[in-house]
Amino acid sequence: MEMAYYPGCTLKTNAKLFEESAMKAFSLIGIEMKELDKWYCCGTVYSLAKDNLMYRLASIRNLIRAQEEGFDKLITLCSVCYNTLSQANIMARNDKEAMEKINSFMDEEPDYEGSVDVLHPLQILKEKMWEIKERVKKPLNRKYAAYYGCLLLRPAEVSVDDYENPGIMEELIEALGGEAVNFPLKNECCGSYNVVANREAVIEANYRIVTNARKNGADAIVTSCPLCYFNLKDMQKEVKKAYSSFIELPVHYFTELMVEAFGVK
Amino acid sequence: MMKMVRIYIMGKEYKVPEGLTIMKAMEYAGYRFIRGAGCRAGFCGACATVYRKEGDYKLYTDLACQTTVEDGMYLVQLPFAPANKAVYDIKKIKPDDKTLVNFYPEIARCVSCNTCTKACPQELEVMDYIQSALRGDVKKTAELSFDCIQCGLCALRCPAEIAHYHVAQLARRLYGRYFMPRALHLEKRLKELEKGKFDKEMERIKKMKLEDLKKMYNSRDIEPEESEETRESD
Amino acid sequence: MYPKEFEKSIKKVEATREERMKGLPERMNAKEREEILQKWHPDYKPEAKRKLKIGPSKGSIVPNEVADIIEAYPVANPDEIDASKPDYSVDVLIIGGGGAGTTAALHAYYNGIKKDKILIVTKLRHGDANTIMAQGGIQAADKENDSPVIHYLDVIGGGHYANKPELVERLVMDAPRIIKWHEELGIMYDKKEDGEMVTIHGGGTSRRRMHSAKDYTGMEIMRVIRDEVRNIGIPVMEFTSAIDLLTDGNKVTGALLYNMETDEYMVVRAKATILATGGFGRLHIQGFPTTNHYGATFDGPVMAYRVGAVLRDMDSVQYHPTGVAYPEQIVGLLVTEKVRGLGGQPVNAEGEQFVHPLEARDVEAAALIRECYGRNKGVVTPTGMRGIWLDSPLIEMIHGEGTIERRLGAMFRMFKRFGIDMRQEPILVFPTLHYQNGGIEINAESQVLSKNGAIPGLFAAGEVSGGVHGKNRLMGNSLLDTQVFGRIAGMAAAKYAKKSKYGKTTLQHVKKYVEELKKAKIKEERHAPILLPDYREKKVLSREIDIL
Repeated sequence: MEMAYYPGCTLKTNAKLFEESAMKAFSLIGIEMKELDKWYCCGTVYSLAKDNLMYRLASIRNLIRAQEEGFDKLITLCSVCYNTLSQANIMARNDKEAMEKINSFMDEEPDYEGSVDVLHPLQILKEKMWEIKERVKKPLNRKYAAYYGCLLLRPAEVSVDDYENPGIMEELIEALGGEAVNFPLKNECCGSYNVVANREAVIEANYRIVTNARKNGADAIVTSCPLCYFNLKDMQKEVKKAYSSFIELPVHYFTELMVEAFGVK
Repeated sequence: MMKMVRIYIMGKEYKVPEGLTIMKAMEYAGYRFIRGAGCRAGFCGACATVYRKEGDYKLYTDLACQTTVEDGMYLVQLPFAPANKAVYDIKKIKPDDKTLVNFYPEIARCVSCNTCTKACPQELEVMDYIQSALRGDVKKTAELSFDCIQCGLCALRCPAEIAHYHVAQLARRLYGRYFMPRALHLEKRLKELEKGKFDKEMERIKKMKLEDLKKMYNSRDIEPEESEETRESD
Repeated sequence: MYPKEFEKSIKKVEATREERMKGLPERMNAKEREEILQKWHPDYKPEAKRKLKIGPSKGSIVPNEVADIIEAYPVANPDEIDASKPDYSVDVLIIGGGGAGTTAALHAYYNGIKKDKILIVTKLRHGDANTIMAQGGIQAADKENDSPVIHYLDVIGGGHYANKPELVERLVMDAPRIIKWHEELGIMYDKKEDGEMVTIHGGGTSRRRMHSAKDYTGMEIMRVIRDEVRNIGIPVMEFTSAIDLLTDGNKVTGALLYNMETDEYMVVRAKATILATGGFGRLHIQGFPTTNHYGATFDGPVMAYRVGAVLRDMDSVQYHPTGVAYPEQIVGLLVTEKVRGLGGQPVNAEGEQFVHPLEARDVEAAALIRECYGRNKGVVTPTGMRGIWLDSPLIEMIHGEGTIERRLGAMFRMFKRFGIDMRQEPILVFPTLHYQNGGIEINAESQVLSKNGAIPGLFAAGEVSGGVHGKNRLMGNSLLDTQVFGRIAGMAAAKYAKKSKYGKTTLQHVKKYVEELKKAKIKEERHAPILLPDYREKKVLSREIDIL
């Protein structure tokens, strides 16, 4: 059963690797995704503003596109997009007054009926562990720290798993033949968009998170968010400058692990 | 007896003959354009006009030279849009998917409200081309924005304060220079010209007697019309 | 939507369509062309023209409307203007901000003039010119089966052999390098996937050498070269017209400018001055509507004539064969020749073809006029205007569905705004005043010529000049003219400016001209340049009081 795929801006630019590996891996375990014909930047954190409905338009418009193309499920890889689209959907389904305003403003669009579910792949993979195990050709045989970050888990209404102690990614790692280490800082914030104007905060967070992963025996960190990926991976060179004792660690998208374990090129 | 309609030019009522364009109606009423008229044919964007219709709250935008007046029309011209253009040397840009957002960072503020699309007198998909620009798709931005006459209505209405047509101009130049393949036959012809391949023939034909020239002209072989096979692929 | 009265005729057009797809009428031979022009082309009406009474081209025949503004007094009385103290000093002054003026500015810059020493003045906005409306294309002989010599032949034959050979040589030989320059600037010419330029025929061409950017060719070129001027930072003064040139008695030393919005005059001294003021459509020769932009009022030749410039070929006016004939709101606007180039056949009210779609413009226009007024087989609109059908639905049938939207987007849009779908319905056209074939005499270095040779310090490029197109311009050569001679003028002006000094700025030549007018007993009833046409309702004008 086909789902609408919402890429989001980063997946088409900085995080092409994430999209490519996801497409390859998912097709092998029966997840069919079709990119929306037209989609718009989700509005990232601006769309979460409570006092300005204007910022919600982008998310709702994306859901209308999915509705128009006849899908009842929309899947997205980026944690930020997942979070903003989900929160917009919750508002759409519960806040009649806000939706009246939005539908009335977007008079060139059909009304959004609230009929599309927003999903993250990890939610779907949870139900596909057997198929995943079947597909493994090259068991990973390494130790990984599963890093969730914030936006997949908070607020509670949109969490893809138990928000205090999630376990999906660990389950996935094990199914792929790797070992998931105990990782207390798995849902510690990476610093998010502070990387733009307050890099010290990200450097600090990176130092603590990566060091913690390594100290717990991880060979690499696994993540599901392009921003976390950047903050945890690309920022390591700056962490090294700030902390000479810092030891770097590789960072991967969970889909890269799937592609490797499935033996796909 | 001509049928007359009522229009309001910046709030003042005038009666003008039915069927005139807004531009001709304003001239009929006695306004002589200094600003607000350019090509008078829908290509230059000089006559951008904002108006309302009687009993209708909506704001309409269009070109004065291409829009017929309606009874009760309430209009004003906006012949100028303040919009900063980025300055660049097209030869020095190495385009990647961040180029457009680097020159025009404000495009990241787009909230997908679609107000720009509704304002466009050319009916272009303005929001869609800004979204394409945001994700670095230079080709799509160039194609969607091609018919833009740079009237400025989108920029004036945008809550995110984007100057759409300047972004699009950069995208199109990048596309034309860096993404479209160069014409090889053109380069070949330039080399031939440099080597003087046509100089002798040119001297001859310039000096030809009128009778011979006429004979040559009247016996030209004409290349056949464009056929199915030579139709360009899109 | 067409009025009910047209339905019968449209049905006839639809009925003959399939048959007409099979072939076109023969092209005319030389004799037939001569005959139809003599009898039906508006240029050949002797009562529409007269001989100039004064000046360097005294005795030459020009349209009455042109004679009216040549034999006119200056708009600013030279005795009341103090032109001696310049407000601005530049190396190269360019009057006119269209394709020719902008290209001239860029090439003056490329050839070593500092950007702050170049000034473009334009009486409307930068880019408001006929250039931006040019739709169909720009000619250049850059294909294997073509050569500049063949292009030369097409131009000179189309111009009735009246062209100046050295100007045509420059036009055709420099064409490929212009296209290359455009490519490098990022102009999006229509290309095939491998980069080959898509080229089609224009009226009177023997090779398919018209390059285009959809049907917005002029707009695409103008947008990009204007963008380039802005990137470099060459100063442009908008809503500033030139109302006379300045001389020191020998050379041109600058211009007297007029701020259209504040009514003040300003004096610019310049080492080199380039006239790129375009055409004369807004003079409405013989009462024809026009395709031209709002400011096409013949300002350049008026000013140049007063410093001694010779005018040539002014007896020849180009009427574009296909201007809009319906609906009334857009009468006279251009329907690009590309419509015919892609298969839109001219068809009379009875559904019959009567002329080859791509004769040279003057012949084609004469044929349409003959069909409407000689044979009375035109369609008559509710306002009394007559027209011929252009069977545009044929284009979709020949080239496939979607062709019109893709390649004639501007035309499609223009008619759609008034409820006509040119994909399904034919469009109605009639000749409209389009191009100034002749103009200021120049040499192959774009220098303006008097009876005694080049006028020092004065250059001209584009529609304002004469000699390039002879008595009739081919489609696609006017954009080429602006680019080739804009470049030559810019280069030549830069070269000249580098080795000259400023001169005194006076209006003495204007005073001399006024004396000539008085001697010829021409009353001070008209003033020129007129700068803009006046379309205000006569009743309003009759009540006008100039209080403020």
